[in-house]
Amino acid sequence: MLHKVKNNYITSVKNHVSQFKENSFRKLASNDFKSWPSPREETWRLSRLGVLSRKEITPIIPDFKKKFSSVSQFNGSIIIRFVDGALRKDLSSKLPPGSSLNILGEEDSLKCLHKFKDSNLKNHPSTNVSFSCTPSIVKLTIEKDVNIRNFFEIIYEGGDDNLSVHPALYIDLQDNSSITVIERFNHLSSLIMPLQLIELKKNTSMDSLKIFSDNQQSYNLSANCTFLSDKSNYNSFSVIKGGIFTRSETHAYLQGENCNLNLNGVYLSSKNQHHDLTTAIYHDVPNCTSKQIVRGVLGGKSTGVFQGKVRVAPDAQKTDGQQMSRAILLSENAIANAKPELEIYADDVVCAHGATVGEIDDEQLFYLKSRGISEKKAKQILITAFLKDIINESVEASMQSFVFKEAELALSEIISEEI
Amino acid sequence: MSLLEIKNAELKLDGKDILKGLSLSVNKGEVHAIMGPNGSGKSTLSYMLAGRDGYELEGGEVFLEGQSLSKMEADERARSGLFLAFQYPVELPGVGGISFLREAVNSRKKFLGEEELDHLAFVKEVRKVASKMFVKDEMLKRAVNVGFSGGEKKRFEILQMAMLKPKISILDETDSGLDVDALKIVSDGVNAQRNEDNAIVVITHYQRLLDYIVPDFVHILSDGSIIKSGGPELALEVEKNGYAGLINAA
Repeated sequence: MLHKVKNNYITSVKNHVSQFKENSFRKLASNDFKSWPSPREETWRLSRLGVLSRKEITPIIPDFKKKFSSVSQFNGSIIIRFVDGALRKDLSSKLPPGSSLNILGEEDSLKCLHKFKDSNLKNHPSTNVSFSCTPSIVKLTIEKDVNIRNFFEIIYEGGDDNLSVHPALYIDLQDNSSITVIERFNHLSSLIMPLQLIELKKNTSMDSLKIFSDNQQSYNLSANCTFLSDKSNYNSFSVIKGGIFTRSETHAYLQGENCNLNLNGVYLSSKNQHHDLTTAIYHDVPNCTSKQIVRGVLGGKSTGVFQGKVRVAPDAQKTDGQQMSRAILLSENAIANAKPELEIYADDVVCAHGATVGEIDDEQLFYLKSRGISEKKAKQILITAFLKDIINESVEASMQSFVFKEAELALSEIISEEI
Repeated sequence: MSLLEIKNAELKLDGKDILKGLSLSVNKGEVHAIMGPNGSGKSTLSYMLAGRDGYELEGGEVFLEGQSLSKMEADERARSGLFLAFQYPVELPGVGGISFLREAVNSRKKFLGEEELDHLAFVKEVRKVASKMFVKDEMLKRAVNVGFSGGEKKRFEILQMAMLKPKISILDETDSGLDVDALKIVSDGVNAQRNEDNAIVVITHYQRLLDYIVPDFVHILSDGSIIKSGGPELALEVEKNGYAGLINAA
């Protein structure tokens, strides 16, 4: 009986793709979905998916009549809305000149699949399942020399109990273009498996902000594959606060020289939440810089995971890679795991890493108390500062207060339970 | 009734006796200097008074205006009017100077039943006091003590003292790490706050600070207790003969 339930989702995915023709990219992808990752697989050891194999889940059939529930957070932003994993042009903004939104055909979808299959996300469950089950792969193109000032606000919502949701987005920044993208995940009680492919062509720049705030019954297994060409900048910051289980996994390939990459973020975890920020940076060429700075605040029986990998290829001289993870535990039952991995094959590089897990600093707490500030308030001040510090350092100035507000909401929940 | 009364204070750290029956009485309007060599218990005394965890008394008692401090947490002591200027002020990354000061001052005002200041009125007040202490606006905007020079940190401590208007201030080696010019600025800041209703205890290694903050009484702390008390001339004696002579004589 258990065995049958274990294979249930695999069967659901197979059933879903059976409607497509034999050589569809969907079938190719589904062939590789044979099981959920086992805890014996190193990258899934700290974030176990066993519980999913015991659930009866089926891929969602998008309801194109569904109304949206999340409202825009910014004046003048360009909204792109996915409901149930499907692009809803009727609920999205008109795109500014120099940008376009298209649904990819079979051939281009297959190319996207190959890009994932050539990357280290090739065995990620979202790669195989979402390529099989996505309503369509959506491509956002920013044309050459186009700099779009207004934010793109991409809202992912919908979903329901025992359903899986599969938004797939391909962002193509052509030479000398730049954008800012804010993504918000606001699903209900589902298994969300977002796929994202980003190509930053020469001399491009992208600021990316991701807010994971799906409801407390959701599982989110986001997989992002990013390629950077010469002189491109990718500055990404994630706030993970929603879901019962949220893992954001990003693999970034530095393939052109003089690139600058930041994969930073915070996780705010309470109750039984499990939050995981997994990043891998591949320095394949010389003269690039990268940063992975992650902070977490945990209460209740929550678990936080940071897995950060930096691989510096033999030719990638003059690489500067920084990695730092810090977590504050506010409860005795909370757990934070940090797993830095440095694989350095070049000799002329600067790679620093560090990880700390601990309670609030005693000295700082005493200093505040010695000024008449109550212990509760002092702890609040210090935790808030802990987050503000990294937000101010990592997030573009115009978005800092928004990010901070998003973090503060989750933080107040943790603090009210623990302090 | 004394403003601060320390009676036979005994304290152990890691099983070792540090304070061994220390007594001291400080009245309103007085400035006391406590001098002593390294390891005599000076910083322990200041942490004990401020209520740091782990520095609880094993014997004896401390009273602030007749009220025992032993059951009071550090924040309650501060709100009641006790202030410690740290030897090594602690950096608070991400905590802005103004909001930190405002939180502290309003905690004290609330305790005293005074009206809390709104943001604008508070900023105005801070700027006024800060300018007298050569604390620049730019410093107030930065995170507390982060990237401050030694002199800036000490000036910021004294600015906090001026804003909180404590009854009793303990200055723990406020002169350490200061050059002569910085020492003068900090001392002027302290002197400006001396009045008939408060008192100051200056803890220091060296006599030189006492040229600027002139004490009414000087006490020599050695091996966990006060071995000699006198007027300002006692500090000069230390300067001339060192601690060894006094300790041996005692």
